[in-house]
Amino acid sequence: MSAARYLVAWAVMLLLLGLSIWSAFLRIGPWQPVAQFGIAVTQAAIVFIVFMRLPGRPSLKWVFAGAGFFWLIFLYGISMADYLTRSGLPKG
Amino acid sequence: MTTLTADLPASYLTKEQTIASWLLTTDHKRIALLYFASITAFFFIGGFAATLIRLHLVNPAGTLLQPDMYNRMFTMHGIVMVWFFLIPSIPNTLGNFLVPLMIGAKDLAFPRINLASWYVFNLAGLFVLYFLFMGGVDTGWTFYTPLSTHYANGYVVAAAVAVFINGFSSIMTGLNFVVTIHRMRAPGMVWMRLPLFIWAIYATSAVMLLATPVLAMTLFLVGVERTAGVGIFDPALGGDPLLFQHMFWFYSHPAVYIMILPAMGVVSELIACFARKPIFGYAGMTYALMAIAVIGFFVWGHHMFTAGISIYSAVVFSLMSFVVAVPSAIKTFNWTVTLHKGRITFDAPMLYALGFVGLFTIGGVTGLIVATVALDIHLQDTYFVVAHFHYIMVGGTVSAYFGGLHYWWPKITGRLYSEMLARFAALLTFLGFNLTFFPQFILGYLGMPRRYYAYPPEWQVWHVLSSAGASILAVAYVLPLFYLGWSLFRGERAGANPWRATGLEWRTSSPPPAHNFARAPLVTSAPYAYNPEDGSAIAQDGAHV
Amino acid sequence: MSESAPRPAEQFADFAQQGEVAQLGMFVFIATEVLFFGGLVFTYYIYRHLYGAEFAIAGRDAKLMLGAINAAILLTSSLTMVLAIEAAAADRQRAILRWLALTVALGFLFLGVKGWEYVTDYRDHVVPAVNFLMKPGYGGPAELFWVFYFIATGIHAIHLTIGIGAVLAMMRFARRGRFTPVYYAPLEVVGLYWSFVDCVWLFLFPALYLLGRS
Repeated sequence: MSAARYLVAWAVMLLLLGLSIWSAFLRIGPWQPVAQFGIAVTQAAIVFIVFMRLPGRPSLKWVFAGAGFFWLIFLYGISMADYLTRSGLPKG
Repeated sequence: MTTLTADLPASYLTKEQTIASWLLTTDHKRIALLYFASITAFFFIGGFAATLIRLHLVNPAGTLLQPDMYNRMFTMHGIVMVWFFLIPSIPNTLGNFLVPLMIGAKDLAFPRINLASWYVFNLAGLFVLYFLFMGGVDTGWTFYTPLSTHYANGYVVAAAVAVFINGFSSIMTGLNFVVTIHRMRAPGMVWMRLPLFIWAIYATSAVMLLATPVLAMTLFLVGVERTAGVGIFDPALGGDPLLFQHMFWFYSHPAVYIMILPAMGVVSELIACFARKPIFGYAGMTYALMAIAVIGFFVWGHHMFTAGISIYSAVVFSLMSFVVAVPSAIKTFNWTVTLHKGRITFDAPMLYALGFVGLFTIGGVTGLIVATVALDIHLQDTYFVVAHFHYIMVGGTVSAYFGGLHYWWPKITGRLYSEMLARFAALLTFLGFNLTFFPQFILGYLGMPRRYYAYPPEWQVWHVLSSAGASILAVAYVLPLFYLGWSLFRGERAGANPWRATGLEWRTSSPPPAHNFARAPLVTSAPYAYNPEDGSAIAQDGAHV
Repeated sequence: MSESAPRPAEQFADFAQQGEVAQLGMFVFIATEVLFFGGLVFTYYIYRHLYGAEFAIAGRDAKLMLGAINAAILLTSSLTMVLAIEAAAADRQRAILRWLALTVALGFLFLGVKGWEYVTDYRDHVVPAVNFLMKPGYGGPAELFWVFYFIATGIHAIHLTIGIGAVLAMMRFARRGRFTPVYYAPLEVVGLYWSFVDCVWLFLFPALYLLGRS
C-alpha cells in the first residue's frame, strides 16, 4: 500500500536527521561539511523522489527539478575559482 | 475604441470593449497590448533621461545638470531601460502575442499568471515612479557596494524593491513560456519544426528563470544591509564588495542575453520572409541559441577584470567570453548566407533586420575587444564599453523590436502602416544610431571615463557628434508613433497574410479571433518553406501562401 | 452543488494535460526558489570559507535542540501533506481534510518553535542591529553569522507562512468536494511547494546549527 512507502521514507529521514546531529560532534575536520552536505543531499533526494513523487508522468519533471541545483554548481564553482586563487585578502 | 475597430470583423479586439474586459483579460493577445502600453511609457521615461544626458554632455564643463543630478539621470536611464523596457520588450509584447499563435495553441499554459505578471510589472513601475519623483538614486544601475549600501544618499532601497518586484514579473513570464512551449504545441509541431522565434523565446525564458532569483537575493541583501546597517558587503565590517559583484553579474550578464536572444529570434523570422528563403542552417541556429543561453552564464567576471578578482579567474572568464562569441558569430554568418541568392525585398521590417545584423556585428566584435583582459585594463569603465553595449542593446535589440513591431503590426491590429514613412524611419534609425554611438568608441579609446559629468575640452567634438546623432535617433524613434498610430484609424485593412509568410500565426485572420484558430492546426511543414526562385511559400500547416 | 461535470480550462485538451502542466509549472517555480535560497547559502558559505573560526564560535550559540525539533516537525508535515494527496487519489474526502489540517497544525507548530527560538536569541543578545553584543571569544565577523541566521530563517519562515496559507486554501476547496480522483492537481502542486519548503530547512539546519560543533 502506498502509505507504507511514505512512512518508511519518513522514518529514514528521521534517522538521517539523527545521524547528522551525531556526526556534527565527530572530530573529522574538513570532512565535516562534506558529511553534512552528503546527508542533506540524501534527504533532499528522498523528499523529491518520494514525497514530491518525481517518478511518474510527465518525466520532464526531473529536468526542472534538477535544473536549479545543477545551475548552482556554476555560481559556486566559478566564483570559487576567484576566491580560491586570491592572495593577500585582508581579514575582517 | 470603437473607431479603431469599426470596420474590422469580429476578433480579439472587438470581442468585448469595456475597460474591465481589458484590465481583467486572460487573453494573451490583449495582455501583450497591455504590456506594450507599459513598456512604451517606460521607453519614453528612459529616453527622457538619455536626452538630458546628451544635452548636458555637449558642454565640457557640464553645466546643464548638477553633478549629483547627472548621476541620478544615468542611473534612472539604466534602471528604466534595462528592466522596464529592454528585458520585457520583445518577450512580453511580441512573445505574449505570438507564442500561442506560432505553436498552434489557444493560449498560454497559465493565462491568469500572465495577467498577474503585468500587474506585478506595473507595481514595480510604481516603485520606480516613487523613487524618481522623490529625487532618484545615484549609484548607477549596477548598485555597487558599499556605495549603494552605505554612502549613497538617494532612494536605493526603493529602487532595489522596484527591481526585485520586476524580477517576479520576469519569472512568471519565463515560467509560462517554458511550460507552454513544452506542452501545448499543436499536433505535428515537433521541436525541430518550431520557428526560431519560439526557440529564442524558450532560451530567453530559461535564462530568465535561472538568473533572476540570484539578482533577487542580491538586491534583498543590499536592502537589508542598507536598512539595518549590517556588514554583508561592507569591508569595514568584514564583508566583501566583490561578493556583491559576483552575485550581481551572475544575473546581469545573462540579462544581456535575455535582451538579445529574442531579438535574434525576430531577425530570423524577418530575414527568411523578406529573402523568401529558408534560414540557412536551421539546426545550427537552434543549437547556437541554446549555447548562447548556457555559456552566457559562465562569463560574468568580465565585468570585474579591474575590480580585484584573481588573475587566474580573469583568464577563465576571458576565455569563456571568447567562446560565447562563437555561436553569435555562427548566427550572423547564417543570416548572411540566407541572404545570398535570396529574393530580397527591402520592406521596413527587412531594413530593421539588416540594420540589426550590421550593428550587432560591430557590437559583438567590440565585445571581443573588451573581453581581452589586457585591453580591458585600458577600456574598462570608459565610453568604449558604453558604445559596445549600446550597439548590442539599442542597435541590436531595439532595431529588432521595431522590425518585429512593423512585421506583425498587420496581424496584431488588422491594419497596414505607411511603408514609405516606415522605411524612412528605419534608415533614419540606422544613421542616427551610428552617429550617436560610433564617436563613443573613439571617446573611450581616448580615455574618457563613463559616468563623468564633465570632461577635457579637446574631446568636445565627439560629444557634439554623439548628441547630434541622438537628436536624429529621437526623431526616428518617435516617428513610428505617428504613422503606426495613424494606421489604427485610417490604415488599409490587412489580410490574413500580407507578407505571404509561412508561420502559423499568418494562417488565421488579422486580427485573430479570441480563441486564435477556427480549427486547431495540424503542422506538416518545416518552418521557412520559402522558395527564392519564384517567391512562393508553404505555410507550416501545408497551405500554399 | 455543481451543475454540470467539471471541464478542463479552455486552453487544455483534457484534465491529464492540465494536471501535468500544473506540476511542471510548480517544478519550474521550485527551480527558481532553489536558486534564490542557493544564492543566499552561497554567500553564507563564502563567508564561512573566509571566517571559519569566527563562524564556528558564533554558531555554537544557535539553539541546536530547537532547530532539530523543527526539522522533525517539517519532515512529518511532508508526510501528512503527501498522505492528503493520496487520500484525494483514493477519493477519501474526510481523510483529505484530516491530513491537510495536520499539515497546517505542524506548520504552525514550526512557527511557534521558531518564534520561541527568536525570543531566546533576543535574550541572548545575538540579534544584529537590535541588541547584538560580542560574546567572549567572538571575533569581528561573528555578527555576520547571525545576520545570515536571521535572514535565512526569516525568509524560510515567510515561505512557510505562505505555504500554510496555500494549504488552508486547499482545505476550503476540499470541503467543497473540489478534489476527486479525476482532478486533484492543485493539491499536488501545493504539496510540491510544501515539500520544497521542508527541503530548504534540510540544508539550512546543518549549515546554521551543525557546522563548527566539533
